[in-house]
Amino acid sequence: MSAVLELDGVSRVFGGLRAVDGVTLTVGSGITALIGPNGAGKTTLFNLMSGLLPVSAGRIRFRGQDITGLSAHRRARLGMARTLQIKQVFAGLTVLDNAWIAARQRHRPLDPFRRASRDRVTRAAAEEALDAMGLLPLAAREAGSLAYGDVALLEIAMALATRPALLLLDEPVCGMSPAETERTVARIRAVSATTDVLIVEHDMDVVFGLADRVIVLAEGRVLADGPPAAIARNPQVREAYLGEEDAA
Amino acid sequence: MSALAVNRGLTALLLALLMVAPWLLAWMESEFWLTVLTEILIWGLFAASANLLFGQVGLLSFGQALYFGFGMYGVAIGIDRFGLGLWPAMGLGVAAAIVMAACAGVVAVRLTWHYFAIITVVFSLIFYFLALRLKPITGGDDGLSFAAPAIMDLGGLRLSLTDDATQYWFVLLIVALAFAVQARLRSSALGRAFAAVREGERKAALLGIDVLRVRWIAFVIAGGLAGLAGALFALYGRYASATHMYYTVSGEAVVWTVLGGAGTLLGPPIGAALLILVREELSGIWEHYPLIVGALTIAVVVFAPKGIAGGWNALLARVTGR
Ligand SMILES: Nc1ncnc2c1ncn2[C@@H]1O[C@H](COP(=O)(O)OP(=O)(O)O)[C@@H](O)[C@H]1O
Ligand SMILES: [Mg+2]
Repeated sequence: MSAVLELDGVSRVFGGLRAVDGVTLTVGSGITALIGPNGAGKTTLFNLMSGLLPVSAGRIRFRGQDITGLSAHRRARLGMARTLQIKQVFAGLTVLDNAWIAARQRHRPLDPFRRASRDRVTRAAAEEALDAMGLLPLAAREAGSLAYGDVALLEIAMALATRPALLLLDEPVCGMSPAETERTVARIRAVSATTDVLIVEHDMDVVFGLADRVIVLAEGRVLADGPPAAIARNPQVREAYLGEEDAA
Repeated sequence: MSALAVNRGLTALLLALLMVAPWLLAWMESEFWLTVLTEILIWGLFAASANLLFGQVGLLSFGQALYFGFGMYGVAIGIDRFGLGLWPAMGLGVAAAIVMAACAGVVAVRLTWHYFAIITVVFSLIFYFLALRLKPITGGDDGLSFAAPAIMDLGGLRLSLTDDATQYWFVLLIVALAFAVQARLRSSALGRAFAAVREGERKAALLGIDVLRVRWIAFVIAGGLAGLAGALFALYGRYASATHMYYTVSGEAVVWTVLGGAGTLLGPPIGAALLILVREELSGIWEHYPLIVGALTIAVVVFAPKGIAGGWNALLARVTGR
């Protein structure tokens, strides 16, 4: 199995806090879940992977290339897409234009001459990504007027529209109703047929329903890494994380 | 009828009215207003420069007068010192503004919000004082006056700026072309990248947009628009001076933009037109007329936060039911 993403001793320090502390891991094919208590460093790790934050130490390789020093937009163009824990879309633009902008970035993204509306290829790619998240009926709506759950879906659709090799999802179903969650889980599973997925999620039903593999992060370190069944049985994990869930 | 069709129709009507304005004003025996209208067109183009940055990319510049000044001096120096014709001199003015913007932009686009606003003011102040000091080149306090060369001189056909109507049509042609180019830009992939950067730069970067590059491109184009406006203004006044490089001139472009509707194509020139007309009508009557300008601007910002054009579009959307 060749890993799409490899982290080697990656750390990130905020003042005196080691938010991510010497993380070495690989992300392979299928769906990998990254779990851990609040403040474990999951979002920070995503920020390091996607280039929103520079690492304090360590190396990151993506599709065999060292990307440690690359900016976020370069990593995106290499095929890494991510959603944000605090959902963010282009609120003043239509749902279709949001996806269109995402889909256009691999092909003459700054062409000042041709009318965007004439670009049928990009439009088709954008519509395909919206369809994958069930958003096609809302294509003409202004993104700022969407319900919370649909904003989360649009974020995933935009990430998909970039045609990524790896999709990083940060708590994608957080705040969704049980019915929305179920639909979204099915859609993510469908996406994983063509794209490798790394997902941060608190809902253990979602995690164990989706993941081929689970990585547990606690206090910035990898506590456990393995198939879901083994993770569920791991006493350390139960103590550090699942036990806490049970108590809650 | 769709809102888009209504706006297209109104734009066509406005353009038609502007084209026949010299005859209309002559028939109404109000030729004086033709020069006011010429000035409005030029300042409307200048407002578009601030609008491109603020309305489309989300960068508030209080320094666009710098590029306006480069356009002015480029024309004046080109004609007065190098003996250039009208078109090459205009080219020099616009090129000077673009080169200046390309250099200043490298630094400025790394900053946002008030930091960006401050750096743009700082750049324009530096060159304002330089222009006052470099008397041999810029004429210092006195500025540079020149005699405008002909627009064209082909066989028997000689078009000159000394005729007010010819001058007006010349300015209208250039300004209309500049707005046509902007309209195309807005609907292009680059225009959408501008919008993405404005709406959320972090999100834009995560989708693969080189945010700094997009901002820099906008900064250079905005510099070019301001430079073009400055070049036209120099030709209109046969004069270039540092006073038009002062940051208060930049500030006016921001007020016009906000009043007219930031982000819309025609809002900013409409804002410029309104406030220049208020000034023309009231400055002779009441010395405190800027109070009216201030009150008007505050009223619009309070009641129509998206400006006149934004308010109009909202109204239109309600009437046409979308
Ligand atoms: N930009 C930042 N500056 C300072 N501290 C931060 C920053 N981002 C995250 N942290 C801290 O790093 C730790 C990990 O946070 P985070 O990665 O958001 O955790 P998780 O996503 O696992 O809940 C927390 O203690 C958080 O307060
Ligand atoms: Mg988090």
